[in-house]
Amino acid sequence: MFHTTFYIRRLHSLCGIVPMGVFLLEHIFSNSEALGGPQAFNDAVARIAEIPHDIMLPIEIFGLLIPFLFHMLYGLYIVLQAKNNPARYGFSRNWQFAIQRWTALFLFVFLFVHVIDLRIFVKGGGTPITYGLLHMMFSNNLWFAFYLIGMLAAIFHFCNGMTTFCMTWGIAKGPRIQSVINWLMMLLCALMSLVTIAFMVSYRMH
Amino acid sequence: MAAEQGKKIHLIIERQDGPDSKPYTEEFLVPHRPAQNVVEALMEIQKNPVTKDGKKTTPVVWECNCLEKVCGACMMVINGRARQACATLVDKIPQPIRLAPARTFPVIRDLQIDRSIMFESLKRIQGWINVDGSWESREAPIQDPNKATTAYEIAHCMTCGCCLEACPNVGPQSDFIGPAPTVQAYLFNLHPFGKFDEEKRLNVLMEKGGITSCGNSQNCVEVCPKNIKLTTYLAQLNRDVNKQALRNIFNK
Repeated sequence: MFHTTFYIRRLHSLCGIVPMGVFLLEHIFSNSEALGGPQAFNDAVARIAEIPHDIMLPIEIFGLLIPFLFHMLYGLYIVLQAKNNPARYGFSRNWQFAIQRWTALFLFVFLFVHVIDLRIFVKGGGTPITYGLLHMMFSNNLWFAFYLIGMLAAIFHFCNGMTTFCMTWGIAKGPRIQSVINWLMMLLCALMSLVTIAFMVSYRMH
Repeated sequence: MAAEQGKKIHLIIERQDGPDSKPYTEEFLVPHRPAQNVVEALMEIQKNPVTKDGKKTTPVVWECNCLEKVCGACMMVINGRARQACATLVDKIPQPIRLAPARTFPVIRDLQIDRSIMFESLKRIQGWINVDGSWESREAPIQDPNKATTAYEIAHCMTCGCCLEACPNVGPQSDFIGPAPTVQAYLFNLHPFGKFDEEKRLNVLMEKGGITSCGNSQNCVEVCPKNIKLTTYLAQLNRDVNKQALRNIFNK
């Protein structure tokens, strides 16, 4: 017996943490360097650029692009399996369930725009990512709002995904541990959101 | 118990004449009695099928049987939430009382639904125990009393369908068998003879529409009228299917 559905679902769950969650954390760490000013951010970008292109590109394709596309496309299928009903059953976990799917839909669009714009057209077109570039981009209120919402959506989706990961893999079984993990993850969500808001605002300052 | 003079209950009922006909709403005012439940209110309509506006209509159809929250037959959506009509007291919920069929299931007529899909799911997960003989009581395999306590809790499931109606992942858009039949697999895996077929049940749960369709909204445990800790047993089954997956890969 080979249960394709089972393995795809578990792989989907795992992909959300590694590499996607890890990559989100990397984004937050690198971008929070902007809080130290333009020089600190540009130094952080330079450190990442030290990884040779011949190594970076396979990582980007096999470690990021393929897992991301898999998680996004199969995730879209999962979103379509749900009839969200928090208006009728307004329990907090049910709201989280619905928000997990709403953020998924927004992130589906956001990630395509973000990657096609910054990675493919800007960086792929030979323009390096610098503080100055992001300062110009985020001085535009629409780009600023789009990216801020995208980041906050990704942070919630990741943190809530960690909670459901613990349930799906049978790590947290009873209601107490599930609730403790949920609280911890929502705390992490608040913390990551605050850091994100701080560095997003700082891009507009200098 | 004489009806209190003048006091009426306002019911707004979502009706439907047949499986494929269009739903419509009708409003009723029925006499109020002390300690009245929703089934009794529906019986009043049966006695006198006249709408709020005085129009004669057909009596509202619904299902009920035990009237003590044991059979599960009278599950319907009361004020937006899946509940047992027999165990819902009119005085404990706000009026007007809105009744609707649980549309996760096919509607037969008015509030009557076809829940046979749950029986099919129980067949799928092998919700029974193969008895391969009988034992003198002292020779029979013993039941762990702690497991028996858990089994007793899960055995309270009356296949009412509240958890399926509340679950956002159960419905015509999805093939998820739902919390109740999934957790029943755990009940039969707990049994000293039932566990002989544990591997079979876990493999069924790994198929499409099985436990992997659970999205952790946890509505099931909130609405279960028998207070079965569904999410706890779903998490336990998630552990069990993970182990089974490893056995499937490495034991063959």
